[in-house]
Amino acid sequence: MSDSQVKPAQEVASQPLGRSQSFISAIRHRAKSEQFRPYLLVVILMAALAFPYLDGNEGDIDAAANALAYAMLALGLNIVVGFAGLLDLGYAAFFAIGAYTYGALASYQIQPEWSSFWEPFQWLGLVKHLEAGGGIGTVHFDVSFWLMLPIAALVAAFFGVLFGAPTLRLKGDYLAIVTLGFGEIVPIMARNTPTITNGAQGLNGVATPKLFGYSFGVMSTPYYYLGLALVVLLIFISARLKHSRIGRAWLAIREDEIAAEAMGVDRVKLKLLAFAIGAGFAGLTGTFYVAKLQTASPEMFMFPVSVMILVMIVLGGIGSVAGVVVGALILQLLQSWFLQDLTQWIHALGDLTDIVFLQKLDLVQSIELIFGIILVVMMLYRRQGLIPERAAVTALTYDQQNAMPSRSSVEAGLAPLHRRTIDPGKPLLDIKGLAKSFGGIKAVNGIDLSVMPGSIVAIIGPNGSGKTTFFNLITGLTEPDGGQVLLAGENITGLKPHRIVEKGIARTFQNLRLFPKMTLLENALVGAHTRTSTGAVGAVLRLPRVKREEVAARARAVEVLGIFGNRLMPRIEHLAFSLSYANRRRLEIVRALVSEPVLLLLDEPTAGMNPTETLELTDQIRHLRERGVTIVLIEHKLDVVNEIADKVVVLDHGEKIAEGTPEQVHSNKEVLRAYLGRATEAVATIAAAS
Amino acid sequence: MSNWDVLLQQVINGVSLGAMYALLALGFTMVYGIIELINFAHFNVFMVGSFLAMWALEAMGFAGQSHVLYGLPLAGILVAAFMVAMLGSGILGVAIERFALRPLRGVPGTAPMITTIGMSYILYNIILLSAGADSKNFSNPMPNTAWNFGGVTLHLREVLLWAVSLLLMVALNYFVRRTKMGKAMQAMAQDQEAARMVGVDVDRVVIITFFLGSALAGAAGLIFGLYYNYTSYLIGYTAGLRAFTAAVLGGIGNIPGAMLGGVLIGLIESLGGQYIAVRWTDVIIFSLLVLVLVFRPTGLLGRVTPTKS
Repeated sequence: MSDSQVKPAQEVASQPLGRSQSFISAIRHRAKSEQFRPYLLVVILMAALAFPYLDGNEGDIDAAANALAYAMLALGLNIVVGFAGLLDLGYAAFFAIGAYTYGALASYQIQPEWSSFWEPFQWLGLVKHLEAGGGIGTVHFDVSFWLMLPIAALVAAFFGVLFGAPTLRLKGDYLAIVTLGFGEIVPIMARNTPTITNGAQGLNGVATPKLFGYSFGVMSTPYYYLGLALVVLLIFISARLKHSRIGRAWLAIREDEIAAEAMGVDRVKLKLLAFAIGAGFAGLTGTFYVAKLQTASPEMFMFPVSVMILVMIVLGGIGSVAGVVVGALILQLLQSWFLQDLTQWIHALGDLTDIVFLQKLDLVQSIELIFGIILVVMMLYRRQGLIPERAAVTALTYDQQNAMPSRSSVEAGLAPLHRRTIDPGKPLLDIKGLAKSFGGIKAVNGIDLSVMPGSIVAIIGPNGSGKTTFFNLITGLTEPDGGQVLLAGENITGLKPHRIVEKGIARTFQNLRLFPKMTLLENALVGAHTRTSTGAVGAVLRLPRVKREEVAARARAVEVLGIFGNRLMPRIEHLAFSLSYANRRRLEIVRALVSEPVLLLLDEPTAGMNPTETLELTDQIRHLRERGVTIVLIEHKLDVVNEIADKVVVLDHGEKIAEGTPEQVHSNKEVLRAYLGRATEAVATIAAAS
Repeated sequence: MSNWDVLLQQVINGVSLGAMYALLALGFTMVYGIIELINFAHFNVFMVGSFLAMWALEAMGFAGQSHVLYGLPLAGILVAAFMVAMLGSGILGVAIERFALRPLRGVPGTAPMITTIGMSYILYNIILLSAGADSKNFSNPMPNTAWNFGGVTLHLREVLLWAVSLLLMVALNYFVRRTKMGKAMQAMAQDQEAARMVGVDVDRVVIITFFLGSALAGAAGLIFGLYYNYTSYLIGYTAGLRAFTAAVLGGIGNIPGAMLGGVLIGLIESLGGQYIAVRWTDVIIFSLLVLVLVFRPTGLLGRVTPTKS
């Protein structure tokens, strides 16, 4: 992180929100120059371009070209494991699929009999007619390498979706074992279908790429440059994806799947996307690698290859684009350049010191052992890897930490919090007979509730009375057994959580579900997921429309963060886990508000706040209502409820036992019984009298 | 051999394999049951157990299959071999838990699983580098006694292996259901926090679980050697994956489920090998794993896992 990103944050602490334009533009600017410092990139690229001329050793260049292939694989696996948090242990399967897709269509392996069916393909230059010694001859597939690069990527991506679809609905753990299985099956398939793959012997004579009549042949240098170009392309794609709507949704899934869903992220779709893109990278690499080796055999794609790629990203830094490339290059070049020499040095040392162990140690043989040790040591002592995903954030100054809480007035000059027009005469939320049982317990038993637009409804009740379950049913996190939820007349019962956010209901969680390893700003931006539409392709190309959308989303997120004044603003680039408890609650509210809800569900928003903070938040909730957001909140602090609620609903044992204004509810005998026990006639009388 | 004889013979083979997979699956299921972690190190704890047993038998003077014992001496040698394999594997499992997994307990995400993969890889390569890549002739003191029923052959060793597996599983079941520690394990499987609050020593339960699971893997490793007369650094991978499939098939976290799943996978392997083709066995088993996960993720007998809040 450079200073330029932190300074504006310091300014804003001492400035009212309205005048912090420089800060907002800094945030906007940040979208463009993320993570990579351009001059460093140029230096590295120049060195990489000059390398074959500086070194000149064919063996070294070949090793470097292979290392680039592994860097491509590491980038692909990083999207799956690093971004989306899905452990894929059979990644080499997609590498194999890409390799065989190209290999089979660019060698003499498959030679069906010639027929007129093939003529159009011949005309397109995809096949050749081989006429060997009379007869009708056979078909020789001769598809261009350049055409096969994207095709192999697409084929691998297709298999990624095919393998991922059945299991991505399940918890992440299972994915690891299923991918391990697929990683095992694919080489077996290759071995068992010799007509296509030539079985265990492997494909031979795979065609090398040609470019404008220049054949790549067997020298390594052209492959080195091609590999370099592909690595640069994949780095570009990874970096663009990571800092986009898609990348934030992936990180959100990785950090907390349920919260991501409740903020509008379609987790199955996004996981599949990560899986498909990761597989696509591997397919591309497979084509490159096979063209370079001109052969493909099942042994090239077994489990150890998958593990090696995993070791590369663990070493470099899971989730870090620069890190995984460095990790891949280090491990590959270590193996091909240094391990042999290192072994000889150790043997020499052994001879010198007469230690038999050192004399016999063979590091080349022990490379897999070294991989295992790297995995364990990195996980135990440096989980963030050599180049962490995130650089350290400059700490707040003493003044910032101890600044008086200030907050701009919520209503000051801000855009409306949502864009829907609501009929003020009809209930916004209308719930009829909502029910849910867990085993024999009726957690929510036929509750009716109607919430008018612009009102604040408080739900109170003893612990275990079904309040949070009630919220979960409304927001789709739990499927109801019966009943109906209507939002502005539209039936939203049983929709998936992300669809319900789209419809305009957002929530916070009683036990705080932020995305701890994302910044405050990113947390807020995940809230904007359903209100933005950038897809993977858009994120990579970053066309003007996408840029506009991103800038607008950032500006909006910053505005909403500004509701809490200098509580959150100076910390906007910090990771959410570093926040205090009260600030986490505030950030959850911000995240929910960024999704432009018409209805906001707050689950114990003031829990863990001191009296001053509680008063402040109560005030802010009232302001939100004034700006057109209808609010239902679960709250234990009755003074808060009395202060802001238009209507109070009391739940007990999953049933609604009372409903009315705070005063009506306070004198209700049922309510007193639920809270205080049976012998409360006297208490009720006193309450009524007071 | 008639068709029925072939079928029956393959059922016998399948049950023998299944008994071994069941023992191995128990380790996965017990660990998953209490700390919700797929322990990939278990694959190769099994493999190391097999080598420990072989070395123990060699140390007792057995080499190859020619030196055969009967009666009490055989029982004594087998008990000793099981003790070595089980104790050794059990201690190995505990060491892995203590030094590689405990520091990561409660770390969210993929870190603990990646660590178990790393541990598994370390074990695999230590054996590969120290014992070599060739398969080892497993010393086997069991006689080749067999009974013929029509065309079907039942070996004494198969009956013995069934008996041992059954004994171990009954003992485990007794331990989990009847003893205080077993009840603590069950409590932890349901709700770790609540178990801690009522005074369950969580670290102790986890260690005991790793010990028992790994010891059973060691027993399975010895059984593998006695059944196939060989062992190799490679055996952990395939057998481990099949055993994990068995655990999922039976319902992960569910101890009787792992036993049932193990036997089913054994039968599928032997019958599939007979009636389809051995080279497709793994494909069949993993397809089954995926089908179970899609259509019945709770497995045949239901899953028992901690509630994560």
